[in-house]
Parts: sequence; C-alpha cells; structure tokens
Amino acid sequence: MTAPYLHFQAVRKTYGDVVAADRVDLEVPKGEFMTFLGPSGSGKSTTLYILAGFQEPTSGDIQLGGRSILPVPSHKRNIGMVFQRYTLFPHLSVRENVAFPLRVRRQSQAEITQKVGRALELVRLQEFEERMPAQLSGGQQQRVALARALVYDPPVLLMDEPLSALDKKLREEIQLEIRRIHQETGVTILYVTHDQEEALRLSDRIAVFNAGRIEQVGSGQHLYDQPATRFVADFIGDSAFLSAEIESVQGGQAAMRFPDGTRLGAVPLHGAGAPGQKAELLLRPERIGLSETGSGETAALEVTITDVTFLGSSTDVRAETAWGEGLFVRLPFSDPLSQSVRRGQRLWVSWEANGAHLFAA
Amino acid sequence: MSSTFALARPRMRKGTGMILPALVLLLAFFVVPVALLLSRSVTEPELGLQNYRELLASGTYAKIFFNTFLVAGLVTLITALLAFPVAWALVIMPRLLAGLLFAIVLLSMWTNLLARTYAWMVLLQQTGLINRTLMQFGLTSEPIPLVNNLTGVTIGMVYIMLPFMVLPIYGVIRKIDPAILQAAALCGATRLQALGRVLLPLAVPGIASGALMVFVMSLGYFVTPALLGGTSNMMLAEMIAQQVQSLVNWGLGGAAAFILLVVTLSLYALQLRLIGEPKGTA
Repeated sequence: MTAPYLHFQAVRKTYGDVVAADRVDLEVPKGEFMTFLGPSGSGKSTTLYILAGFQEPTSGDIQLGGRSILPVPSHKRNIGMVFQRYTLFPHLSVRENVAFPLRVRRQSQAEITQKVGRALELVRLQEFEERMPAQLSGGQQQRVALARALVYDPPVLLMDEPLSALDKKLREEIQLEIRRIHQETGVTILYVTHDQEEALRLSDRIAVFNAGRIEQVGSGQHLYDQPATRFVADFIGDSAFLSAEIESVQGGQAAMRFPDGTRLGAVPLHGAGAPGQKAELLLRPERIGLSETGSGETAALEVTITDVTFLGSSTDVRAETAWGEGLFVRLPFSDPLSQSVRRGQRLWVSWEANGAHLFAA
Repeated sequence: MSSTFALARPRMRKGTGMILPALVLLLAFFVVPVALLLSRSVTEPELGLQNYRELLASGTYAKIFFNTFLVAGLVTLITALLAFPVAWALVIMPRLLAGLLFAIVLLSMWTNLLARTYAWMVLLQQTGLINRTLMQFGLTSEPIPLVNNLTGVTIGMVYIMLPFMVLPIYGVIRKIDPAILQAAALCGATRLQALGRVLLPLAVPGIASGALMVFVMSLGYFVTPALLGGTSNMMLAEMIAQQVQSLVNWGLGGAAAFILLVVTLSLYALQLRLIGEPKGTA
C-alpha cells in the first residue's frame, strides 16, 4: 500500500490547559480540494498553521509524500499559502510580488519572466502587473496572492479564509475562479472556512472541525445526507431539531416519542442511544412537506403555521409543534400550498421515514 | 454639506487662536534673533560677504565643517545599525519585556545630559573602567585613547541619539502586519532575505526620519563634542561658541550658524521630496 500524499497523524496542539487541536487524523490524496470547516476556535486554522510551520504540534506528525515535514523550517517547506488578511508586499509591484518566491530561489530572469507571466494569466491579472498593491481592490489583491502562492508549483496550497474580507457577490465570483484554477492546475488545496456554503461550493471533501477535533470527513452531499453527529447536521445545511425520547433501539434504528406522545418508528439513529434516553430529531426544511391531512405512508406531525416568507423560488414557512418547538419548511414554487398557506393555519408536516435523523443526547 | 462646513470653520478659527502664544515666543526668541545674527554676519566688521568667504576659503574652517559632517554621519550610521534591532525587539517581545526595554531606552533620555557625558568621561579616560578592564584581561598592554578624540565624541553621541532613532523606526515597523513576514517565509525567503527584501524596505520611512533627526541634531551638538572631543576635531557648534564668546566675532559666528541652518533646512526639504512627510516621529 502506498503512503497517502498528505497525512495528518494524531496531530495535537495545546496552549497550557487549552487544547486547540486534538487527534487530528486525516489523509488527503494528491489533487484533492479539501476544506476544513468549523466555527472559530475549532482547531481548523491551528491545524493549517502547523502544516505551514508557523506553529509546532505538541504531538503527532504531518507527512507529505511519505516524509515528515515537521523538521523542515517554513521557508523550505515549499508550501503555498493565501492568507485571510492582505499580505502582498506593499513596496513591490504586482509583478515583483509574484516574482518574489522565484527571486529568493535565485532563478534566472528568463525563467522568472515566463513563470510570472503564466501565473498572472492564470488569475487573469496580466494587465495589472505594473500596479502597486494599494491600487488594487481586495479581490484583486487576493488573486495576486494566489498567483504568488502558485508560481513556484507548491505540492500543496493552503488558503486561510481568503475571501472573508470580501462582499458576498465578489466572494462568489472568486470562488468560481478558485474552482477553475484548481481544475486547471490540479494542485492539492487545503481551504479553511467557517462558511458552509463556501465549503459546499468549492470542495471535493470537507472535514468538519469542532472543539479541536474532526467530527466527520466526507463529500458535501455525504455530510448533508449522513451526518455522523448533531454538530455536523447543524453545521451543514439548514436544520431544525425537535425534542424526542427513545423508546426502543434495533439495528441502527430507533422508535421514538415526541413530548406530546406522538410516536415514530424506525428512525435512523446516530450515537449510542438506549430506551428512555433523550434525543433530538433532525428535520431538513427542504426534505419535509406540508399537507392538509397527515397521510398514512409517511411520518407526520400536526403543527400551527406561525410565519410565511415568500422568497421567489421557494416559500419558507415557520411552524410550531403542539408543545411549542419551532421548525421550518421550505416549499418549492411548484407546491400549490406555497401560494395558499396562511399564518395560523393548522397543517401536517410530513416526511419520508428515512428523511429524518435521530441523535441521542 | 455646506452647513457642516459653516459649522466647522469658525471652530477651526478658534483653534488657530490657541497657537498664538507659541507663535509669539518663536517669533521673539527664534526668528528675530536668527534674523539679527544673519544681519550681523553680513554687516560685521563691514557690509559684505567677507565672513562667508573666510569660512569657505580657509583650511581651518573647512576642516571643522568636514569634521562636523563626519561625526554627524558616523553617529547617524552607527545609531541606525544599533537602533533597528532594538526597535524590532520592541515589536516582537512579550509585552512586559518590551515595556522594560522601552523604559531603558527612554530612561537615558530623561537623565541629565551633562551627567551622562561626564559619566562617559569617567568610563573612557586613560585610567577609566574600560581601559583598566581591557588591560586586566591582557587585551591591550597600553590604555587605548578613547576620549578627547573622534572615538569619544562618536561613542558619547551615539548613546545620546539612540532613542531618537529607535522611536521613529519602532513607530513604522510596529504597523507592519506580521502576516506579511509569514508570507515571505512561506514564499521561501530565509530570515536574511525577509529582512533585506521585505522588512528593511518597509522600515525605510522610519529609518529616514530617524536618520534626519539624528544627523541634524548631531550637526549642531555642543556639549558632548566639547567634553569628549579633542581640540584637533572641533565641531561647528564649538567653533561658533568660540567665535562669539572668546573672540567676540559675531560676524563669523553668525555666518557659520547661518550655514548650519541652511544645510539643515535643505536636508529636511530633501527628505520631504524623497520620502514624504516623516512618519512615526510623533
């Protein structure tokens, strides 16, 4: 068996009593776009900084191409990085910023001219090469930073929330650029973000970080369909959680009861749950529907509509259960109810039996 | 828009009134005396430019000018070399240690100048602490002449000028985002390359304003050269004092003072032209 391209092995980082990263185990194949997704302080940036060489792990190892990179100082790791803040050298032109990594490697002028030209072409900023960083917009600066990080063909490119300072429209534009550049160069990318939409838009796979650990790794769709923990379910996609109590457990499925006594059978169960234990039922707003009568085939719950928001392609309907918990339903435009639903109506929320997930508390 | 200006303007006029006392003080005790001195330099002993001719033609005075610029240049260079690492340390040190270092740098500024200069005389003289220590360890058989010469003046002045160089450099590099240096490292720059290609170029405005201040102050310095220097390497300020006090030659002294003022202002204008408004001097 060949060693994985990039391999985090039980990486742990503590500051005194604070554990910033713990048991980070991850294998990244060559050419993959891997995103570290999590709230701030979840350990995703710490893990990235350890790979960059700005911090040393308390224990564990990181291997690149089968060799540990920990003994190698930052400037010899050959890793490319785009930072959250603007880090272009303010005293150098765009061209000289991109040429910088090649100049410190003492490459020939001919080589430098050719590679800088190619890198600027890749980020589509050839006509800006004479400008100074202060004359560029934030988005342009980050694209130059990307060219600077790619010009020396790094084995892996790190991106630490590079778009967080930009407005939404520009962010989406540059996300498309990043995807295109990933496809054109085939470079392995580790991308850190706290924005789940950005993670879903960009990544081949996502590692969800929480409290210093990786909760789950998988494609966006896998994380959405099969969340391993309540945290992942909450972080990826929209969700509502309803209180429940487990009645019986059998082969990864559970029978459960809502606080008002409504029973559900055969719900996929995550985590170790025992009869009598409290649990939470995950409902995705776009995976549940509304109807005037609870139909027999599907699971259903009677609710009162509390708010209706028309959003063009869909209508978001807020509802309240008999025991006062809130949830929301996203009705597609094609659903006739999306036109007629009114506040105060009593309707039935229904879903496919395997469309909900139960998380033991 | 126009109403805000209407409100803001009278307030600004009120503000300008407050500078009047300082303005009067400067006018009465700086501008007027300088003008008087200048007028005496072209009227004594008779009307004409003979004082300037004498200053620029005589070998004795040329040597004094040369020596003045040599000392000021040396002091500026050595101070900059010493101050940069101190300023950098102030930026990257943990808060408490940086505070301590800051206090040490500033403390020397707040101690009496004359006391500090006499202290150097004690340390540097033939039988002073430095020479005795060197001889005790057998590093030299005879005392090294450290005082009453160029070495003494340079050492004494570098020590006095250090804070004036540290503060402006600190003011500029404190504002450099550390992530820029991290980026340089990941781009493959060694520490030395990051220093030479990124940190130093970005610190240029601070170094320039510190250098200008130190150079200009050194040009006109009196106490330290008078006490630590020798008769063979007299500086301009000493010469002016001698002309005025001992020889009562106001004309020549005034001409020398005026040349010093013109050189200073030209240097300042040059810096404004090259670097722009000095930063970090506040």
